[in-house]
Amino acid sequence: MQWLVIFNKELLEHLRNFKWIWVPIVFILFAVMDPITTYYLPIILESVGGMPEGASIDIPSPPPAEAMMMSFNQLSVLGVLIAVVISMGMVSSELKSGVYELILSKPVSYIHYITAKYAAMSVLVSISLVISLIAGWYYVTLLFGDIAFSQLLVSAIFYVIWFLLVLSIVMMFNTMFRSQGLVAFISIIVILAINIITSIYSHVLTWSPALISDYIGIYLFSGNMETEMWMSVLISVILMVVALTIAITTLKNRAIE
Amino acid sequence: MDETIFQLILPIVGLQLILIVIALIDLKRIEETQGPKWMWALIIIFGNLIGPILYFVIGRRP
Repeated sequence: MQWLVIFNKELLEHLRNFKWIWVPIVFILFAVMDPITTYYLPIILESVGGMPEGASIDIPSPPPAEAMMMSFNQLSVLGVLIAVVISMGMVSSELKSGVYELILSKPVSYIHYITAKYAAMSVLVSISLVISLIAGWYYVTLLFGDIAFSQLLVSAIFYVIWFLLVLSIVMMFNTMFRSQGLVAFISIIVILAINIITSIYSHVLTWSPALISDYIGIYLFSGNMETEMWMSVLISVILMVVALTIAITTLKNRAIE
Repeated sequence: MDETIFQLILPIVGLQLILIVIALIDLKRIEETQGPKWMWALIIIFGNLIGPILYFVIGRRP
């Protein structure tokens, strides 16, 4: 019950901050932008001019799966950035302003406090993500060719898991620092490091959560789910639980001090 | 051809407009922003997609 109270309060707060409106819109724009500009590239080049007389521009239209991956890649960069930025103050701002002491002076358990906040943010980000991917899919099928909707939905669900891991990392640093900027900065550094290390040792770290989007690409192209995908998902879930546990314990230790 | 471009781009322009309008409504209602309000109004209107995002992320922080 207590968990639900915090959860509802957080959802209401997101609504008041207009997060429920602007985050989905921004995600949709990110997902839709790249496929559209790719489709209209020849026309854009033509109207900008500067091409020598008689030069023919032959840019092969990418297959639908590749166009769809443009949406995913765009969200992997800008979407993650937005996710980090909107959640950088989840706990740290309350630590700083003292609201947190007010809340925890009541018999509120730390576990409820952290998980309810995390869940509310996850709901917002996941729904925005799925909506934006559907919008991207709509444009891709219109401009480049068919992708099965069920295939997209499965990909979207897997992709959400990567974002949930990102949010849990941000939550962990939220409990450690009071400065929102610092939380965002360190979270982004850590996520970048995961991405870079994974891309260097991708043949060894086949279970890395950062490879989820790569496996989604393979799935969209071939229709086959790699078995390593499940390993990545499993590791993501484990890391998520670890990050949240660390968040809860650091918050507890803070209270003892 | 021109018509299809129009139909495809229209929803995107619409979404951007919604984003700008919501940011402006919020700017009008909010008591205090980080920095002067007129500056944020300019950023929202002329900042394209980035403007409203910057406002929601940085500007409306108490």
